[in-house]
Amino acid sequence: MDNIIEVKQLTYRYSDQERPALSDINFTVQPGEWLAIVGHNGSGKSTLAKCLDGLLPFSEGTVTVGGTTLTEETVWTVREQIGMIFQNPDNQFVGATVEDDVAFGLENRQVPRDEMIPRVQAALDEVGMADFAQRQPSSLSGGQKQRVALAGIVAITPDILILDEATSMLDPLGRTAMLKLVRQLRHDQDLTVISITHDINEAAGADRILVIDDGKLVEEASPQEIFSKGDQLIALGLDIPFVAKLKAALKTRGIVPPADYQTTTEMEDWLWRSLSNT
Amino acid sequence: MAITFEHVDFTYQAGTPMANPALTDISFSAPDNCFLAIIGHTGSGKSTLIQQINALLKPTAGQIKIDDFTITPKTTNADLKPLRRHVGMVFQFPESQLFAETVRQDIAFGPQNFGMSEDDALVLADKMLEDVGLSTVYADRSPFELSGGQMRRVAIAGVLAMQPKVLILDEPTAGLDPQGRQEMMSLFERLHREQGLSIILVTHQMEDVAQYAEEVAVMRQGRLVKYGATREIFADPQWLTENQLAEPIAAQFAQNLSRRGITWSAWPLTAEELADQLASQWPKGERTDV
Repeated sequence: MDNIIEVKQLTYRYSDQERPALSDINFTVQPGEWLAIVGHNGSGKSTLAKCLDGLLPFSEGTVTVGGTTLTEETVWTVREQIGMIFQNPDNQFVGATVEDDVAFGLENRQVPRDEMIPRVQAALDEVGMADFAQRQPSSLSGGQKQRVALAGIVAITPDILILDEATSMLDPLGRTAMLKLVRQLRHDQDLTVISITHDINEAAGADRILVIDDGKLVEEASPQEIFSKGDQLIALGLDIPFVAKLKAALKTRGIVPPADYQTTTEMEDWLWRSLSNT
Repeated sequence: MAITFEHVDFTYQAGTPMANPALTDISFSAPDNCFLAIIGHTGSGKSTLIQQINALLKPTAGQIKIDDFTITPKTTNADLKPLRRHVGMVFQFPESQLFAETVRQDIAFGPQNFGMSEDDALVLADKMLEDVGLSTVYADRSPFELSGGQMRRVAIAGVLAMQPKVLILDEPTAGLDPQGRQEMMSLFERLHREQGLSIILVTHQMEDVAQYAEEVAVMRQGRLVKYGATREIFADPQWLTENQLAEPIAAQFAQNLSRRGITWSAWPLTAEELADQLASQWPKGERTDV
């Protein structure tokens, strides 16, 4: 199948800065893929997301989304295909009630009212927020707000969902619930997901991870390959997985665990076998 | 400064039809030089609770004692100025409160407000900048040219410049990348250890609670449901699950191993503690001494 996103030689420079925020970025995304983009604060990840959606006008390189090359003229065709969720749930509400907010994208697309009402309802059902349709967004928790933001995206049925650190302000339970919901939506609606994140669990669920450092694409690999880097992960903007921390702590105590990547369960197995060897 | 809550109630918009009770019958006592973590679900009353400590919100019933100060529903703002100097508050996303032309002026603003001369305050500002791990080359820059993590450090330096005895932190690492989070938490740990600052930390990061906090207060629906030493709080996995609180990963990992018959002398809360206990049980001859 053709790539749903193609980025070629993309360079972006903020007007007041000498160094480019992104330089010569090349990658492709397959339809239905879950791609995670990681990197430390200030590495250029969010700038990249904004370039894909035409929110930042880049001067060098090309971005093609669903076969359409992004230009000033085609920006609306490209945006039709992309739904984006940002970090702060408070910065993306426009409606006075939850249902108004979900309807906003449909109103912009001049969807007739008879069609709009069931679509808003269905979108709220999909994210489990139907009981909150009449509520004011300000009365919701952070996790609930992000669900409503997702409903707004579900309603306009895009092909691509971009999460720009969308779970970073949620508490651990809110974060888990949100990721579960995104996985379900991806399945139900055949979405391609791009998630920009520092969260190791979010990155672990991806098919592929891109690492951005200092505006450059420095690595492209499976989560397993990336996580085998252990201690170096922190420099890439990710946390060190618990198993890697434990291995490092064991090594300083004279215990040498296997060097390759292991899941939590595999590490438990190894410890249990070693300990029951006595 | 020791902090004691005695039967504190707080109701938002008390006496109106919109009255909304946020804290109910809170009593606890945190010793001087404490490192207290306040945990609980979103909306459980954590932020309302910490705002009582420097009296941004005053109790609607009960009282709070902080060393010699007593805050009651009748305390006036004029009585509170000396208290507020000693209790520094770092809100969520404190970098949004930066305003001055240079980093140095921003940090010096607070002390001048409390009567320090401009010269002294500017000298102090440079010292605080170093305390938060930023070099003085940043002093003459605009705070708005800095990265998010640097801006947050400047905002924290501004609070530290008031030379508080208690530092209250409301999710101080939210939005930072893991490295930034680690550096920020080490900073608070150092201030606590070296300068004897009492730290009160509101957080969702159980790993930070396990690693740094000495005591934990658990809030639920405006009530204090548990208060105790960190290890005690994490000793009951079932209770944590019932209260929708996550366990530190090391504790979960230890629990899985105990199901296979491995025993622990004390419940490990961090990777280091877990490794200590594994090493002590490790078969002899299988270890290389380092």
